[in-house]
Amino acid sequence: MEDQQTTAVSPEQAADDELRARLREMLEGGLQTEVEPRAYDHETIQAVVARLQRLAPDDYENKLKIAGFTLEPWQGADDIEQACETCMYYVVHRRFCELPELMLPVEPEWSCRLWRI
Amino acid sequence: MANILWLQGGACSGNTMSFLNAEEPSACDLVTDFGMNILWHPSLGMELGENLQQLLRDCVSGKIKLDIFVFEGTVVNAPNGTGEWNRFAGRPMKEWVRELSDAADFVVAIGDCATWGGIPATAPNPTDSQGLQFLKRDHGGFLGKDFKAKSGLPVINIPGCPAHPDWVTQILVAVATGRAGDLSLDEFQRPKTFFQSFTQTGCTRNMHFAYKVSATEFGQRKGCLFYDLGCRGPMTHSPCNRILWNRVSSKTRSGMPCLGCTEPEFPFFDLAPGTVFKTQTVMGVPKDLPEGVNKKGYIKLTGAAKAAAPAWAEQDIFVV
Repeated sequence: MEDQQTTAVSPEQAADDELRARLREMLEGGLQTEVEPRAYDHETIQAVVARLQRLAPDDYENKLKIAGFTLEPWQGADDIEQACETCMYYVVHRRFCELPELMLPVEPEWSCRLWRI
Repeated sequence: MANILWLQGGACSGNTMSFLNAEEPSACDLVTDFGMNILWHPSLGMELGENLQQLLRDCVSGKIKLDIFVFEGTVVNAPNGTGEWNRFAGRPMKEWVRELSDAADFVVAIGDCATWGGIPATAPNPTDSQGLQFLKRDHGGFLGKDFKAKSGLPVINIPGCPAHPDWVTQILVAVATGRAGDLSLDEFQRPKTFFQSFTQTGCTRNMHFAYKVSATEFGQRKGCLFYDLGCRGPMTHSPCNRILWNRVSSKTRSGMPCLGCTEPEFPFFDLAPGTVFKTQTVMGVPKDLPEGVNKKGYIKLTGAAKAAAPAWAEQDIFVV
């Protein structure tokens, strides 16, 4: 009984898992995303964020495209590996990106061009 | 009995408003408990016109002993170095400032404008403003880097936009009661007792800073404001989270990023669009890191801290 309680999946977690799987499917299916140019300066960040703000909250495909998601970490300059797991918008235990314009369940090894540490 | 004269140059009166809200000690306590005689103050002084000019002249000549000269606001030099844009009591304020500083035992600069120029001195600095002994980070300012008041101390800088009222009254009490020798000043002539620790010291969001959990929107009670919302608490020297504002709170406690207003560069990045309330990054890494932390160390620490973050650190634990 106790084991059943601790392994129970909350509705929120189930929804996250389902959406995460959909996103993975899109990326594995060859969805072309705007990996570059990286959003390394304020103007580019603002431009990317502004485009994201115009999307419907459930327009997941375009969120992935515009943010430039990849299934693996991006290797930045100075050998800095840009992965969701080190990004400031990443919530570790929920495996979730809390950037208000994204709000997506992700995997720790994924990456996008809005990464910031 | 210590005579205090308070004048105001290029300023918004914010430090006066702050000073009048002081509690420990209060502005009234300065007079009733600590024997201070406030000769004149822009919001409290009774003298006008010729009477005020005479009072100022008597301070300059030594007829009235000037123990502490307090200055709030910038020294305005425009136009063309004349200072005519800020006239006071019949002449450019800058002329009074020079002569009164030379006559005083102690000179105290209150607020960012008087200390390093503050907002009026932000590029392109149309009023040609200076702080008393600094212009931003450059030592010198209006009085010059070698200036020392009669006591032998340089200008005592109490920065802030505004300065916390208790920083002001406590320093005035220390000086007026003969304990100026106990004051230890830092490289920017700020009393170390207030400006050695960081704004972050005592911040209720420190656990979020430690576990690298970011606030992503204003109003969130969880999360650190440094990572995304431009908080300068880890790089700013002030006791804002030790000596609380109104005895209640601080900017960061209430969800407002620290703007770094006790540092000479304030306002940072000359208020360029997009630089306020947004952490500036270079290739995803904050441009300004917590003091003493290098980039590699920061990245390593972040990876480890996020990996170790407990679930509660990602929750809003402040239950109403």
